[in-house]
Amino acid sequence: MRRFLVIRFLQALLALWVITIIVFGLSHLTGSPIDALLPDDASPEQIDNLIRHWGLDRPYHVQYLTFLGNALQGDFGESLKWRGQSALGVVLQRLPATLQLGGLAILISVVVAIPLGVMAAVRKGTTLDASANVIALLGQSLPTFWLGIILIWVFAVGLGWLPTSGYGGITYMILPAVAMAWFQIAALTRLTRSAMLEVLDAEYVKLARLKGVPEWQIVWKHALRNAAIVPLTYFGVLAGSILTGSVVIETVFAWPGTGWLAIEAIRGRDFPVVQTVVLVFAVVYLGLNFIVDALYAYVDPRIRYD
Amino acid sequence: MQALITARRGASVAIAAVTAVTIGWAASAGATDRVILAFNPPTQETNLFWNGIGEKMPSMQSLVGNDPLTGAYDNSELAAEWSANESFTEWTFRLHEDAEFHHGWGPVTSADVIHSYELHTGPDSTIVALEQLRAAEVEALDDHTVVFHFAEPRTDYAFQHAGRGAMVVYSKAQFDAEGIDGYINKPAGTAPYQYVERRIGEGILFEAAPDHWQGATPDFPELYIRFVAEPATKLALLLAGEAHIADLPREIQGEALAAGKTTIASQNPAMHTGAFFKGVYNRTGDPAHNPDLPWGDVRIREAMNRALDREQMIEILYDGRAEPVARWGMHPPHEGYVPELAERFDEMYGYDPERAKELLAEAGYPDAFPDPTVPIIVTALSGNPEFATMAELLQVFFEEIGMQTEMREMDWATLGALSRAREDYVIAPSRNAPIRPSEAGIVNFFTTRGTPFGGLEDDTIEGLANALQNEIDPAERERIAAEAWTYLFDIYADIPLAALHFELSVDPTVVADWTFPGVTTNSVSHYHLIEAAD
Repeated sequence: MRRFLVIRFLQALLALWVITIIVFGLSHLTGSPIDALLPDDASPEQIDNLIRHWGLDRPYHVQYLTFLGNALQGDFGESLKWRGQSALGVVLQRLPATLQLGGLAILISVVVAIPLGVMAAVRKGTTLDASANVIALLGQSLPTFWLGIILIWVFAVGLGWLPTSGYGGITYMILPAVAMAWFQIAALTRLTRSAMLEVLDAEYVKLARLKGVPEWQIVWKHALRNAAIVPLTYFGVLAGSILTGSVVIETVFAWPGTGWLAIEAIRGRDFPVVQTVVLVFAVVYLGLNFIVDALYAYVDPRIRYD
Repeated sequence: MQALITARRGASVAIAAVTAVTIGWAASAGATDRVILAFNPPTQETNLFWNGIGEKMPSMQSLVGNDPLTGAYDNSELAAEWSANESFTEWTFRLHEDAEFHHGWGPVTSADVIHSYELHTGPDSTIVALEQLRAAEVEALDDHTVVFHFAEPRTDYAFQHAGRGAMVVYSKAQFDAEGIDGYINKPAGTAPYQYVERRIGEGILFEAAPDHWQGATPDFPELYIRFVAEPATKLALLLAGEAHIADLPREIQGEALAAGKTTIASQNPAMHTGAFFKGVYNRTGDPAHNPDLPWGDVRIREAMNRALDREQMIEILYDGRAEPVARWGMHPPHEGYVPELAERFDEMYGYDPERAKELLAEAGYPDAFPDPTVPIIVTALSGNPEFATMAELLQVFFEEIGMQTEMREMDWATLGALSRAREDYVIAPSRNAPIRPSEAGIVNFFTTRGTPFGGLEDDTIEGLANALQNEIDPAERERIAAEAWTYLFDIYADIPLAALHFELSVDPTVVADWTFPGVTTNSVSHYHLIEAAD
């Protein structure tokens, strides 16, 4: 088990290093931030000042190594758009908003999708199953931003039950969280349903039924426990999707989290903030997947290396 | 063409359909103490004006004001009066003696102006027109008189302190007491609204300044600017009563109108739009000059202008709510306005595809050009969501007369980089916002000393721009500016399209009116004149 965890951890570090190269390269490929941050008629003196100030006149590999060295010490540079603030500070300031929203979206996904998937499997071929399939189909085919706008129009503008957008308490979180969760509900429902169908057909389930174990116990205790490994492995992907999905949803709902920050930083070519957002996302994503791998290995000893 | 219109409006139609269903449910806003404006997020979120690019907060004032109706310079901001010496190398500003900073930071003095000037011209300044603001020396004659000295004539220096808003005045006393953090956290201004709080990514809150030195008492005790990037969300905010004013793109303003909202426009045009023939570096000896550029030939430029049905373009791009403009950059209140150009416009630029084809044939297009393809830039720019569609329309019209085109997607900043490198051999949508005085317009957009987002350059216009900059006699300046505008008109220097007013969608149950001139860098100003509905 320990060897498995060490190997997985090293793989995560390697992935993170590759990500730093990709994000640094891609952000610089889009052009110089000078052209985004300075006015159209900036003077050569203004341009030179900013290029020098931000070290953009140095060779790319020097800039990258400086960036990497500083990043290892938690210094991602100064934000170019939010002047006077560190890039990491700007990102960390906005991260709680995204975690709040993402956490609620994950909660909604799990609370809705797992029971729905289980019930669809148990009542295969019924109206409930068909309804679950329709929900899954819609969830996976509706663009998130479109769904977000429709939710705003119906529940905020039309019915006036919830605020349209902005940052605030639980009422402000419901619509964006539902919009974020919708796709995940679809995916998780389908996974749970197929895993449950497989398990419900297993010999030990038939034996349990023959022994007279109550059906609810068979489904929710024995079958779900074994089927849960499939949605569990999906959890890492789900968390990652929630993070990346925040980019669109936070823009639509004017929710000032890291997703919104990423868009604004990209618009302003704020390299330090773009790099920090991506790396923070990567760390969270890799961390969650590492936990999932560990849990997977714990639940299923066959995949351990030892 | 119709297909293009249909495609562009697909999203709007979808929203309109939902609106139609929900309109009856829309909550109406009642009387409120806080007026909420849903605006695009600023380019840079900072309270340090010189670290932005000219987005002036409602709490700050410049030296020179603008009349809310005409946009003419007035003394509604910090300077009670100003004047230039005969050679326009000295500008003297006399401050209002009763002007006071917010939050108890005391009276506005010459020391505050000089301190602010130094901040705005420092090494970290990113303001627009830094070079136009910069003086050789700034001197305080007394507590309320400041003189800016220049090495050369500066005839339009008042513009830098008015609509252009190159500098706002901060309190030196606050800086001395709190340092730069004071400005970052709670900058004291002098406008009728004072700063309360900025929340990154959310918005900025202002409140009416108590006992304001100008006696201004805004109808709304609080003013909140909410940052919302997504147009559909802004519309939803307006319809749900969560915002009372929104800067909606024209294509969805109709939805707001259909839901009972109204539109308030700036009193004057806020910008000119059109397209530039870029990469025409025709000055003698310019290494960037490309003799094979198709639109380097004036006949091709005329053909491209005659290919356009501007009436239809304005209808599609701006729902017909724009005025055709004969000469991009030329504006009636400014020097050298030539009304005859508007009269000659149809004859010279009118929609005539047959004549356009003849002109192409006369120029030997396409065979006479090694690369006859015309690259058109598809770009997006805050405040100009129509630019991408404009590029599509240009392509459609150019191809109708037999031109070969290519669409190149490029963000505005990348286009700027290409232009700074003087490698921008493309046709690109362009704007002049605010509409600059003639000298600034000519120098900025048609000489090597201007913005990289400029257009055609040649010896004649360079000479006229130089002459204008060095001339101080008003009559002679009028003549030179008129000659420059006429010359640019005659050589088809660009593709002029429209003069646009800045439009805001408004909830009439909360906001009755808002008079603002539209001549400032932000386009909106005079926040204290937002009138509450009864």
